[in-house]
Amino acid sequence: MTKPSCEDTTLVRARDLHHGYFSFTFAPYPRVAECHPGSFVHVQLTSTDIYLRRAMSVASVNTRRHELEIIFKVFGRGTAALSRFTTGSKVNILGPLGVGFSKPRSTYHPVLVAGGVGFPPLMFLAQQMIDDGMDPKNIHFFYGGRSERDLVERARIKKMGIRFYPATDDGSLGDKGLVTKSVEKFIKDHHAKERLRLYGCGPEPMLKAVDELGMQYGVAGQISLESPMPCGIGICLGCVVKLRVGGHARVCCEGPVFEIGEVVL
Amino acid sequence: MTPDLRVTIAGVEFANPVMTASGCCNYGEELAQVFPLSKLGALVTKSITLKPRLGHPVPRTAETASGMLNAIGLANVGIDAFIKDKIPFLEKQKTKIIVNVAGATINEYVEVSARLADIGRVDILEINISCPNVDEGGLEFGQSPALTEKCIAGVRKVFPRPIIAKLAPNVTDITQIADAAHQGGADAFAVINSLVGTSVDIDTWRPRLTNNRGGLTGPAIKPIALAMVDKVYTKCKLPIIGIGGISTYRDVIEFLLVGATAVQVGTALFVEPDAPVKIVEGLKEYMKTKKLSHINDMIGKVRKYT
Repeated sequence: MTKPSCEDTTLVRARDLHHGYFSFTFAPYPRVAECHPGSFVHVQLTSTDIYLRRAMSVASVNTRRHELEIIFKVFGRGTAALSRFTTGSKVNILGPLGVGFSKPRSTYHPVLVAGGVGFPPLMFLAQQMIDDGMDPKNIHFFYGGRSERDLVERARIKKMGIRFYPATDDGSLGDKGLVTKSVEKFIKDHHAKERLRLYGCGPEPMLKAVDELGMQYGVAGQISLESPMPCGIGICLGCVVKLRVGGHARVCCEGPVFEIGEVVL
Repeated sequence: MTPDLRVTIAGVEFANPVMTASGCCNYGEELAQVFPLSKLGALVTKSITLKPRLGHPVPRTAETASGMLNAIGLANVGIDAFIKDKIPFLEKQKTKIIVNVAGATINEYVEVSARLADIGRVDILEINISCPNVDEGGLEFGQSPALTEKCIAGVRKVFPRPIIAKLAPNVTDITQIADAAHQGGADAFAVINSLVGTSVDIDTWRPRLTNNRGGLTGPAIKPIALAMVDKVYTKCKLPIIGIGGISTYRDVIEFLLVGATAVQVGTALFVEPDAPVKIVEGLKEYMKTKKLSHINDMIGKVRKYT
């Protein structure tokens, strides 16, 4: 377990990605090197009356410049308050937290399945795989949302040179329908299923579908769960999930990343 | 001159008056990753029951204005696993160890307490007769003076070291319950446990907790907790450990002034896991500024209007 710490940092870049999405970059954050794809940080909303922190998965790091990026969508009063922070704001970050994705072997063909605001840790994972020497052409990035405007940061993802498969409920971009339908077709048609590894992050119904696909087609992989987390460090027991074997696990400590087939969804 | 922060409750000396609150630090292992537990006056464990409990289904927490609701449902490893897996870690910690005990029946409280009596490193028991989140036991005991007395008296017979009765605010007159606990043989009071509350999602018309209600904690409850401590301090005779919405040293001083000898920090740990360390430092600075040599110089010293 990485020892978490509270660190004061500054919001150095705030980008409005439109349609309720924001990218915030904090610097200097001294623990960037310990942030991995799937790790998250707990952001204190100091400028408001909101008491609890908000868990945000890490979207990217720049270790040289000690920059940490999170991308979030405004859902409730916490994320709404966060979106009103301006460049230069002092922000306290508790982290790094959680167990992230495990690195695939270079011979694998990772299939990343992102739903809506679940894309940031997978974008980070794809970048890390490339940095580790994987051929971008072997990385398959499926990105689903309600409509074209929900699929933010597409240019950035495509720029990595990975294979990109958008899917939208309304058909405004890519395949029409659920992203997991596109993923299923891909798995079915793939000649070497044993090389595939699934990585999912998104809304729970999507994760459930990814989990089922993995089990149905015998493709191993991992999913990253989302849960409201009062503490983020394993002391409040508010974010538990049921495991198929062995009782409960805390999403914040034993997760947020779990193996396919491990959790009762 | 370094101010003296030591306090004594029922013959047990604490390095400082700052403890963790039960249910907010598991069994201490996670917080030990953040700061050495020797910085605490005492660590108070999660409630221990006879059998392991998974607790209620999620969602079992919900944020509220300046606080939160929880209905964890006494999730814990049970006394056997606690002794086998958690005590070895706790034994190594250079702080006082207070184990919180809960049960559905008086027998369960007594049985768990008897097992803990054999473990010398367990300095004190805190008896949770006030959990709002279980169907049986818990609050049912804490709302009845007769059952409170019986429960504490049962534990008293089997546990030779000090006992703290953790009192519920969800009662008509907290001092009646406090007196009953005293009568049963308690050595101190922990005031207060969480307040019963709920919250409803107006989109789904569902309560935000699967248990339909839970316990309210955090800064929202501090004024109520302070008034309860004041009431117990004024009318009852045992030392008080104040709990309820403490986040900073300033909060602690308020509790000391109305009569608490020590305090517990709970929900604040979720926001700032190192809050106790900052609080102790803040207390020292405050005492230096106010030229107070001993923490006792503040206890019960609120200057009330007459």
